[in-house]
Amino acid sequence: MKRSKRIETLDNRPVNLDGYIDEWPEMGFVAMRSPYDPAGSVKVQDGRIVELDGKKREDFDFIDQFIADYAIDIGRTEQSMAVPALDIARMIVDIHVPRKEILELISGITPARMAEVLNHLNVVEMMMGMQKMRARRMPGNQAHITNLKDDPVQIAADAAEGALRGFAEEETTMGVARYAPLSAMALLIGSQIGRPGVLTQCSAEEATELELGIRGLTTYAETLSVYGTEKVFIDGDDTPYSKAFLNSAYASRGLKVRFTSGSGSEVLMGSSEKKSMLYLECRCLYVTKGAGSQGIQNGSVSCIGVPGSVPGGIREVLGENLVAALLGLECASSNDQSFSNSDMRRTARTMLQFLPGTDFIFSGYAAEPNYDNMFAGSNFDAEDFDDYNVLQRDMQVDGGLKPVTEAEVIRVRSKAAKAVQAVFGHLGLSPVTDEQVEAATYAHGSKDTPGRDVTADLMAAEEVLKRGITGVDVVKALAQTGFTDVAESVLSMLKQRVVGDYMQTAAILDREFSVLSGVNTPNDYMGPGTGYRVEGERWEEIKRIPHRIDPLDM
Amino acid sequence: MQVNEELVRQITEAVMAQLRRQEDASLPGEEALEKSSSFYGSVSDKAKPPSLAGRERINPVKSDYSSYPKAKKGTDPKEVVIGVGAAFQREIKKTICNLPLEEVLKNLRAGIEEEGMVPRVVKVLDTSDVCFMALEAAKLSGSGIGIGIQSKGTTVIHQKDLYPLSNLELFPQAPLMTLEIYRQIGKNAARYVKGEQVIPVPCANDPMSRPRYQVKAALMHIAETEQLSPELGMIEWEG
Repeated sequence: MKRSKRIETLDNRPVNLDGYIDEWPEMGFVAMRSPYDPAGSVKVQDGRIVELDGKKREDFDFIDQFIADYAIDIGRTEQSMAVPALDIARMIVDIHVPRKEILELISGITPARMAEVLNHLNVVEMMMGMQKMRARRMPGNQAHITNLKDDPVQIAADAAEGALRGFAEEETTMGVARYAPLSAMALLIGSQIGRPGVLTQCSAEEATELELGIRGLTTYAETLSVYGTEKVFIDGDDTPYSKAFLNSAYASRGLKVRFTSGSGSEVLMGSSEKKSMLYLECRCLYVTKGAGSQGIQNGSVSCIGVPGSVPGGIREVLGENLVAALLGLECASSNDQSFSNSDMRRTARTMLQFLPGTDFIFSGYAAEPNYDNMFAGSNFDAEDFDDYNVLQRDMQVDGGLKPVTEAEVIRVRSKAAKAVQAVFGHLGLSPVTDEQVEAATYAHGSKDTPGRDVTADLMAAEEVLKRGITGVDVVKALAQTGFTDVAESVLSMLKQRVVGDYMQTAAILDREFSVLSGVNTPNDYMGPGTGYRVEGERWEEIKRIPHRIDPLDM
Repeated sequence: MQVNEELVRQITEAVMAQLRRQEDASLPGEEALEKSSSFYGSVSDKAKPPSLAGRERINPVKSDYSSYPKAKKGTDPKEVVIGVGAAFQREIKKTICNLPLEEVLKNLRAGIEEEGMVPRVVKVLDTSDVCFMALEAAKLSGSGIGIGIQSKGTTVIHQKDLYPLSNLELFPQAPLMTLEIYRQIGKNAARYVKGEQVIPVPCANDPMSRPRYQVKAALMHIAETEQLSPELGMIEWEG
């Protein structure tokens, strides 16, 4: 066939590099509704749920049982289930029905009913719902701080710049897992230099992550993964009960924790039980709530290629974020994984969370170039900072970031690199050279930095664990090497662990270490003239993007 | 077996077929549901990717390994056990980036041998999770060091006394693997056996491999998982 030049041009567009597949419910390739999804139902006998979503108690798997026993308000479930799904969907969008009333009603419905409710909402209605149901009044944002070399000096510098730019939380991970103690330490130090009060996390194997948290080298945890089918849980050597236990282990030491889930994981693991991605994700979120977690990171997360490949998949992703909010959970709404070769498609996907605002719009905006992002790439990266700032300014939307000046960036990066140099030196860990400090200060990414001595770093990382180095040792090292202000900030972060207020739903800290959460600053949106508005000093800050025309220059 | 391999190839093509899809995008839909036996015929028309709705497996047939020798615990302290996925070299013959699995195995073995250690290959039939595959291989290995490799190419170097989801080295981005990297992995695994200070094989990272390959990865994993025979555990595999 002679080829049409038009079609040939279209075929070569980046969007056609993405993977798409037809719906295949038997293998779970279906976004919002599978013919095999159960209908919502509940039966209570002697104060116990004996039937859930068409299944009798004796046929429950451990997820059903966990949800029936811990995630549904048994006292009000029959009353809530008597309200038709369509009515609930309308209440979610109705500005006259307050958030609190919906939370109460929802606390009695089952996962299958929740999926039915969501199926009544289009994306604009879901965004309305998110604007109203988000836990914290003010939206927030989270960064990924990683690099291909696992270079702790660059981690500190990028953490400082990220904090300066407005991220309320920063998360790192490693290419080589054994680097974790050094990564966590560098992130903790760097973040406090950019802006005191930023929370930090090191995503690692669960036991390691817990240990780093207990030692005070991190200030929150996020990588407690839950799944929507029993088989995937078992494959991971886990149950909802073990996750609840791990959650309590963190809580007992005063650490903020959120769980992680997301559509597509069961499909990727080949165990979707023929159910829709939305229904399975509802089960995950009920498990999260039942385990007593204050929040969740969801929105498909690292499996985004799966919902992204099927019809209605991106609607489903926003849908699952909204389900989290409807259950009263903090929602860190993904956008944290490379999703499309098309700039248009990846931006459109993010608008669904950016416009209504979520507790954390990204659960990992790459605050480094994507080639350095060790979560395999985020949907937005350091090269998109100015685009993002302009989007905030164009639409008068608070996306959690702000424009910065080059001088400020260089100042905080340099201080962070030097602080890591001082702390590593003081603790007798692998040395940081002046050349490395200089390179990290002015670098865009790890292509601009000299390599580290990996063997020496890995030995030092082992030393940190063996010698029992804790957050307090980091405070001492900072204080004794002249970084008194940073020492005070890190110490204040450790104090939060004793106070515990930041374990409340959707908590972040301001630069005075005061908590802003869904409890003391709850979302009070009820239509025009209410709720969080971008105004005053924050609006002025958003307006000040670089590259504005100076009329006097004409 | 030929039929199965052909089918995997065709399904993989189906994912990428959008690139080639012609204007006539009408889907087989209900029709395919009704006569899934004519599935093989319908996919030969490359313009129409097959809808698999209604089908419960990728490969209709499951391989029978009950006559294979069960894998034994090794005693040679120089041994590195390579645990391959259930569909390895049978239903799946190439990694996600089209490296022939035979060549992959050859390079892993060569890397181990070049460092003076001894490779042994087993097929893991009770899990398709690469971390657990690698850990099981490590536990079977005389040296306590093992390599797990899924048929799509994802690889982990593990040590018998580590947590399952921990590892010595992990190579999560299968689309970026090369035969040279597999050789390096073999070498590094052998160096861990020798107790050397090992510099991990540098990680490759391509942020755009997810949108491009994740669906293909899911299909390959499903094809692998449906070949599991948990009751058989692990078997010796000559490759």
